[in-house]
Amino acid sequence: MAKEIYFEDINVGDEMPSLAKGPVQKLQHVMYAGASGDFNPLHTDDDFAKAVGMKDGVISHGMLIMGFVGQAMTAWIPKKYVKKFGVRFAGMTKPGNTITITGKVTDKRQEAGENLISCELVAQDENGDVKITGHFDAALPSKG
Amino acid sequence: MADKSKVGSEYSPVTWEVERGKIAEMAKAIGDPNPIYLDRAAALKEGYKDTPAPPTFLTVPMMWSSSMPGVITDLKINFMMVLHGEEEYEYYREIYPGDKLTGSPKVVSIEEKTSKSGSKMDMVTIEILYTDQNGEKVAKARSLLVERK
Repeated sequence: MAKEIYFEDINVGDEMPSLAKGPVQKLQHVMYAGASGDFNPLHTDDDFAKAVGMKDGVISHGMLIMGFVGQAMTAWIPKKYVKKFGVRFAGMTKPGNTITITGKVTDKRQEAGENLISCELVAQDENGDVKITGHFDAALPSKG
Repeated sequence: MADKSKVGSEYSPVTWEVERGKIAEMAKAIGDPNPIYLDRAAALKEGYKDTPAPPTFLTVPMMWSSSMPGVITDLKINFMMVLHGEEEYEYYREIYPGDKLTGSPKVVSIEEKTSKSGSKMDMVTIEILYTDQNGEKVAKARSLLVERK
């Protein structure tokens, strides 16, 4: 899936190939609830979600959207090289949203014998509303 | 509101055995078609020892074992008012089918903040260091929970 990638191939400012996910379906919330074990009805029960103030009903699990971001990341940089992956949840995702994940290399350095890159990540919906900002570090092999 | 006297407390460890089917189920729920999560042969070809767990898999032991809901209850946090603010993972090695992961949730900090609109909230940081069946470090998960007050 992810092609072999070398430290020498990556430069600060390089963009991660973008990934569009969705539109998000309510059925996907049910699948994600079962897979993750997060059965908060806020994600699967419209009546419950409305009762707690979500006027349009259910919202997506934040961790599902982080999963989308992880998919975009590891479609580019093989999972085995990723050292750290973090996100801040900036907005709620609703069924029907299409989420596009983009990223950019912000740093590249050699440290303690490792070839490290740092990247920033953003997940936005079709209106440009930001759902997640994130970052990851990876240690890449060298052609050397 | 979050019980600040609990900062520094560590909860009893939870052990979770990783199953191949759960790894595939997580990838399918996300809609990630990467064959390394579904097909052992594809994973071996890409340098893994077996089908690895996807990057956000550690939410599974946390939620299915009820460790995080248990912590939220013990901290006297109002579950209805909690938002997931941040999540971060540090990976020390791959997670594979058959691994027995053990992790103890630890309350790192509870800080009160005031938003721009003037409403107060508690920012609760919880860390779980996962070790494997040999006692070796596998990964660390850090969660920031935001309790609106």
